[in-house]
Amino acid sequence: MTAPDLTTVYNYDAFIPEKVAPWINFDASPPLGRTAPDFPLWHLDGDLTSLAETWSAHRLLVVEFGSFT
Amino acid sequence: MSELAKRFAAHGVGSIFLYTHEAHPGEHYPHLTSMAQKHAHARDLRDVLGVTRPILLDALDGACHRAYGSMPNMTWIFNRAGVPLYKSDWTDAHSVANALDYFVDVLERRRERERLVPFRVERLDYRASDRDAFFAGLARSGPKAVREFRESGF
Repeated sequence: MTAPDLTTVYNYDAFIPEKVAPWINFDASPPLGRTAPDFPLWHLDGDLTSLAETWSAHRLLVVEFGSFT
Repeated sequence: MSELAKRFAAHGVGSIFLYTHEAHPGEHYPHLTSMAQKHAHARDLRDVLGVTRPILLDALDGACHRAYGSMPNMTWIFNRAGVPLYKSDWTDAHSVANALDYFVDVLERRRERERLVPFRVERLDYRASDRDAFFAGLARSGPKAVREFRESGF
């Protein structure tokens, strides 16, 4: 799958099981106790940061993933 | 969760909301097609829901969200080295508070030179299910989001 296709499919246009279910994969998510993967993230003002930059700035970091809808 | 963030900030606990994509795209908040739109939705999320924690945005293709399991509203707790200590496939403030109380205490015990080694534990937690609030959120996205959820079988 090319990058544009992946972006389109991830940002599904309708909440129907065929479009939603393929992304649900919590059982295969990074395990507890081992360093987790880092990713670039963006502040609301557009500045670039990363998950690692954020977790390294605190003794503990709580990350809630979510959407508006 | 924002109240929890304030409560634990004095213990060196940071809290962020990581905006992923639109779980229930509708007429008012359709699926994302650009980072500019993603920023606009995230600002509305902050203003309408009153999120006071820092909001960070994932890439448009959801690289981070997908790598961590793609659940629509999950919570993870990391230590400073990037090691996940807690992960839940749904977010419940009581569960997160319980975990933070425990991990803050672990940090204090280590600071006092107590020798601690990790072990794994599994637990089934319980969250409140507020259907009225959930459907109000769907309605904010638009009638399409309400209709699709009712028809989805979830």
